[in-house]
Amino acid sequence: MAKSIRLLWDDVRKNRAIYLMVLPVVLYFFIFKYFPMYGAVIAFKDFTPAKGVWGSDWVGLEHFKDFFESYYFVRVLRNTFLISFYNLVFGFPAPIILALLLNEIRQKLFKSVVQTVSYLPHFISLIVICGLIIDFTNRGGAASSLIAFFGGPSTPLLNDAGYFRPIFVSTSIWQEMGWSSIIYLAALSGINPELYEAAKVDGAGRFRQIWSVTLPGLIPTIMILLILRIGGLMEVGFEKIVLLYNPNTYETADVISSFVYREGLAQGNDYSYTTAVGLFQSAINFVLLISANRISRRFSGSRLW
Amino acid sequence: MRKVFRTKMMPILASVLTLSLIAACGSTGEQKGSAAPSNAPAASASKEPMKISFWTPLNANPKAVVKNLGELPMVKEWEKRTNVAFEFRHSSGNTPQDDIQQYGVMIASNNLPDAMLWNWDSVQGGLPKMFKDGTIVKLNDLIAKNAPNLKKIIDENPQIAKQIKADNGDIYVLPHLRVGQYGQYKTFSGMMIRQDWLDELGLKAPETIDEWETVLKAFKEKKGVIPFTLDKGTPISNWDFAGAFGVPGIGATANAGSFYLSGGQVKFGPIQPEFKQYLATMARWYKEGLIDPDFASNDAKTKDAKITSGKAGAFFGYIGGSMGTYMPALQKANPKAQLAAVQYPVLHKGEEPKFINTAWDYDNVGTVITSSNKHPEETVKALDYLYSQEGALLKNFGIEGQTYNMVNGQPQYTDLILKNPDNLPISQAMAKYFIANYGFTGLDDDRYNDQYYQLQAQKDAVKIYAKYAKNAYSVMLPPVSLTTDEAKEAAKILNDAGTLLTEQITKIVMGALPLDSYDKTIDQLKKMNIDRAVAIYQAAVDRYNKR
Repeated sequence: MAKSIRLLWDDVRKNRAIYLMVLPVVLYFFIFKYFPMYGAVIAFKDFTPAKGVWGSDWVGLEHFKDFFESYYFVRVLRNTFLISFYNLVFGFPAPIILALLLNEIRQKLFKSVVQTVSYLPHFISLIVICGLIIDFTNRGGAASSLIAFFGGPSTPLLNDAGYFRPIFVSTSIWQEMGWSSIIYLAALSGINPELYEAAKVDGAGRFRQIWSVTLPGLIPTIMILLILRIGGLMEVGFEKIVLLYNPNTYETADVISSFVYREGLAQGNDYSYTTAVGLFQSAINFVLLISANRISRRFSGSRLW
Repeated sequence: MRKVFRTKMMPILASVLTLSLIAACGSTGEQKGSAAPSNAPAASASKEPMKISFWTPLNANPKAVVKNLGELPMVKEWEKRTNVAFEFRHSSGNTPQDDIQQYGVMIASNNLPDAMLWNWDSVQGGLPKMFKDGTIVKLNDLIAKNAPNLKKIIDENPQIAKQIKADNGDIYVLPHLRVGQYGQYKTFSGMMIRQDWLDELGLKAPETIDEWETVLKAFKEKKGVIPFTLDKGTPISNWDFAGAFGVPGIGATANAGSFYLSGGQVKFGPIQPEFKQYLATMARWYKEGLIDPDFASNDAKTKDAKITSGKAGAFFGYIGGSMGTYMPALQKANPKAQLAAVQYPVLHKGEEPKFINTAWDYDNVGTVITSSNKHPEETVKALDYLYSQEGALLKNFGIEGQTYNMVNGQPQYTDLILKNPDNLPISQAMAKYFIANYGFTGLDDDRYNDQYYQLQAQKDAVKIYAKYAKNAYSVMLPPVSLTTDEAKEAAKILNDAGTLLTEQITKIVMGALPLDSYDKTIDQLKKMNIDRAVAIYQAAVDRYNKR
């Protein structure tokens, strides 16, 4: 023990600048990520603001029991999983495909225009994005008019529970596809050009090159990102959901985080209960992340740790 | 684990923000305090000038003309007279849901203002729970010692004492009251309709549901408009036609308003067979295009726009805030446009409506003193001033010579209010100078209403809505209070029930679910223990009757 501390101290002295650079990041994680974690204890307490986090009475697992027995338990669990799952199935490959396509373009100007345009939605405020989505899908909006033109119903699409998930997932892809492709483009530029030349000499066409050189070069990046995505599978951010849903679409739209928001802040002020629900979600994500990492390590050799 | 952090971080961020705001306000407030003259009336004045932070959602009328209630000349004068400077903090947003959410964040961060004013029905568990939680303090002694004006009113009006006291006799609130000679009007809202279209189509003002259907159909077919519109703030069934069927509907959040009295028995409106009849009618109307197809997503602004642009025929509204502002806007484009109040609807000809949006003398609006208030005596003293004759005059009429003059012993608004040079509607002109047309601690004054309602339609409306208002007291729950445990249990049940009900009702009306599925909803509500909630309110009513 003492020895390792001495080793660490020697290292700090040797690489002072590097440790200094990492300090703000460590502090950030400590202050904003680890320190607030103490608040999670209210999941096991009957929290009243006036008594404070420590002063409130313990109630054990009561809030968890309440949630598991709740009428809404199965529904929010199902919705969270499905929305996230669709996002993974359709949203995860999208930036990879975009990156592969961009990589094949030799015309510089066209490539950068496409890239810039596809990043743009990422920088637009979510409130504005949701305003656009609501307008487009409203009665007489661009999207609903198009559907009506092909004989569909002329209703505000977001009033229909059946349309909520497709709208949510497809707009999420539109928002994030360009931005997420950057990391793949970076990985692509790291592939040794000699491999392509060798493939050409061996008579490989473009598709064969993608299949045998580009994709294998991307696999480590893809796996790492996939593991991270699976780790967040039981999580859908509440902001976009809350901005888009209404009582008509609760059935397919209400996820754990929006449930927590509604019961905890918007209506009920039931802080302990909703903290328990959030903690439950985090616990599932934790298990998912570890399993995904294990599986990936066994089958592809890529892993987070 | 990001979710947990996010919910946890929000209060912390919010408190950081609020703290910096307080710091920013502090400097200007101090100047104000020192500028106050020391010759203020002794009775309700504090010896030292002081600052009291005061949270309240800003009503739509002042919101249109000021950013902060502190800007009102009346408030500044009130500060001068009492030597207490109130620093108002308002929630942002346009819906009651926004207020509820921001209140939640404020309480969770435990960064309390000194005083808070709201309709305390909005908080589940209400005042007794807030007291038990340690958020607010008990006022009995403070009132006895520091609020001579309020004390006198309570002593003289036993019914008010009954309404504002908790079952154990505690008082937690400095109430907004309508009482005495100038506090008779208690109904300010109801159905409104385009009278010019009725006349044009040769129809009479509808009384029964059937007549309503005829009228709305005619609006749709002959005028091509949205016959009946509403917005999220008053969800469907809240104050439209459910009362005609003999039950109350649901509110923006599930609360005691959905319970009613039937022969001394408490019942929950939405699980009654009458409510299903109501739903059947609404679903049919929706299908026939008689109800705004976007009612579930309209916010107040969208609804206003639909009405003022002449695209909607009927709606639920307020005599001042809706009729008073819509009419001038409507008539700008179409001088013939007329709105008129319609009596609360009934099912059969000759019946008298009972479910009328009327208030008790105390309507659950009032100021509470929080546990972090360092000067409760001075705060109570300053607020008590608004119960005095002089204070009520200041609150409701502003400053003599500026916004009103005494004519034959009666206050008369000046043209600054009635014919505002900046062309503000009266409701907003008032809101810019004093606090008369929305709930605030102190006494309301009918003489304000008499002048506020400038249009003949408004003067008629107040009489039409008042005609049967007394019936409401036979079905409305009195302002009961629950014990902490009861409140908690009822809140849990109503929270679950509220989500389910809004969802099912919206879907059934819009035709996304068949009417018969409502039986399952009722079963589900029973599983959620709605009967227990009914029992809780029954017990509370019994206790109230024994007060």
